[in-house]
Amino acid sequence: MTASSSGRKAFSAIEIVIAICFLGLVVWFLLGSGSVDVPSAMTPQIENRELLPLPMRFIQTDEPVTKIGGFTLRCNECHRLFSSPDEHASNLTQHRHIVLDHGINDRCYNCHDQEDRERLALRGNRSIPFTEVARLCAKCHGPTYRDWQMGMHGKSLGSWDPTSPQQHRLKCSECHDPHAPAYELHPPLPGPNTLRMNKMEHEILHGGEIEHVDPLRKWQIELHTTPKEDHDNLPQNEAPDAPAESEKRGDE
Amino acid sequence: MSQPDSTPPAASMSRRGFLRRGVVAATGVAAVAAALKPLLNAELELGDLTSLEKFLQQHYKELDKEEMAAVLERISREIEERYQIHPELTNVKPMDGVEFVYALNLSRCIGCRKCVHACVKENNQSRDPELQYIRVLEMPKGTIDIERGNHHYERPTVPDPDHFYMPIQCHQCANPPCVKVCPVEATWQETDGIVVIDYDWCIGCRYCEAACPYWARRFNFSQPKYASEQELKDDPEIIQKRLNPRMSYLSNRPRSVGVMEKCTYCLHRTRVGEMPACLEICPVGARKFGNVLDPASEVTQILRNKRIFVLKEDTGTLPRFFYYFDERRPQLRSGETDEIVQVTKMDAGGEA
Repeated sequence: MTASSSGRKAFSAIEIVIAICFLGLVVWFLLGSGSVDVPSAMTPQIENRELLPLPMRFIQTDEPVTKIGGFTLRCNECHRLFSSPDEHASNLTQHRHIVLDHGINDRCYNCHDQEDRERLALRGNRSIPFTEVARLCAKCHGPTYRDWQMGMHGKSLGSWDPTSPQQHRLKCSECHDPHAPAYELHPPLPGPNTLRMNKMEHEILHGGEIEHVDPLRKWQIELHTTPKEDHDNLPQNEAPDAPAESEKRGDE
Repeated sequence: MSQPDSTPPAASMSRRGFLRRGVVAATGVAAVAAALKPLLNAELELGDLTSLEKFLQQHYKELDKEEMAAVLERISREIEERYQIHPELTNVKPMDGVEFVYALNLSRCIGCRKCVHACVKENNQSRDPELQYIRVLEMPKGTIDIERGNHHYERPTVPDPDHFYMPIQCHQCANPPCVKVCPVEATWQETDGIVVIDYDWCIGCRYCEAACPYWARRFNFSQPKYASEQELKDDPEIIQKRLNPRMSYLSNRPRSVGVMEKCTYCLHRTRVGEMPACLEICPVGARKFGNVLDPASEVTQILRNKRIFVLKEDTGTLPRFFYYFDERRPQLRSGETDEIVQVTKMDAGGEA
């Protein structure tokens, strides 16, 4: 394989380099992983009943009913016969399932019409049917009522076109329980699993406990380690500020 | 002409020259063959191969009515063969005088992630590997720094009083960077503002994914599957139950491996007057959708009357997706008492 007398080699240096590169590639491809690993995971399956686009609640129609002792009765079937008790909810003998948690609004007849229990009370002696509940809520919740009228609060179903007969704008009590209007807390559906959102969990030690941290969210690691010091510093930082503020207030 | 004795170069190759070129060429061929080895392991099904019809198909904008009908017929047939369902495949055109805008109320969103999963169900996204158009960020109150947003919050109940929630999906920008970078015009903006993708034209270069500042585009790294093997064993009909048969060419027809996809504001629903699936499922009414050219629409009222902002305004993308707030007394964080009470406490501390 040495240089021949004519000066021609069997393989020139450049050819040897190319061949070695190719051979290296062969080894690399054959020994390396056969396919690209895409980090992936399944979407957790959600039951269909979780994903039904229905109103949160069903409201009373023009013929409001209630259930008492297994019977479904219209309001006036009883209230025509019996006189109404004290209007404070704390000493109810009927409707005891109703939990009243509506802030300072804790009187039945703020909302229910005293004369006709199948209607709601407006200002003065006027009353409205249950289906027009929004006008009742507007007595106190003016800005929210304005927003709802313009479509900025609440939810519309059916169509995005306000002129369409299909559009159904949900009324107040189709989402809020009028007796306890604050929203209940929901359990969240499962979060993402995949690709760049994947929880490629790295275990880091933090105060003796093992924590799982997304490596794409490095700040979380910092957040998990630094606050200890921050916590110690906090009172010191706040201490000089707090008196200064109170002095200002005192001066005023 | 003049040199009858000289032989052509090929015939002049010596044995040595033939050998050395042969060795180099053979190693090259071996390297290419080794590089293609993964194809042997790929689970290619018959449906993965591009049919001649699909290969010769024209660009969406160049198809006339008859050709479009033939394309829809071909795709329906392919879907039927592959998934054993009968799809109602249509090609819904934009409506005249309509420009869609989305508004999302950050004061109301509770981070329940129902929109994420309703979207997956409506738009036939791949279940395995997971692919979702909407992501919900949980962020500490007092900042809108999405770098601090957390996708992976797991709580027994939401909302957490110390955090707020910000769902992000395609913003259907009026100045869309994803459309500009597409080398083959497989994605474009329609007259109603929706940015769409022709899945039959996309070459899967992923430039648009890189260009999007909102990370709204998703790539099909593998053939979408609608159920795991275990689920198929438990219920052989599960794919037929899961697939939404109401499909359109530009939105939720089943995609194939190697194409991009993204939110289309459910155009197969919204272009016939219905609401997007994510809005219908929202339990708190945080999502608002409508025609911004209609002065009576809900979104126009929001743009006129509410405090709104768009995400990453400085990128100049002009999104058609607006976030807004309700002006109301801020909700207290956990461990925080009423402001008035705090001031009194502070005063008391100062005096002491």
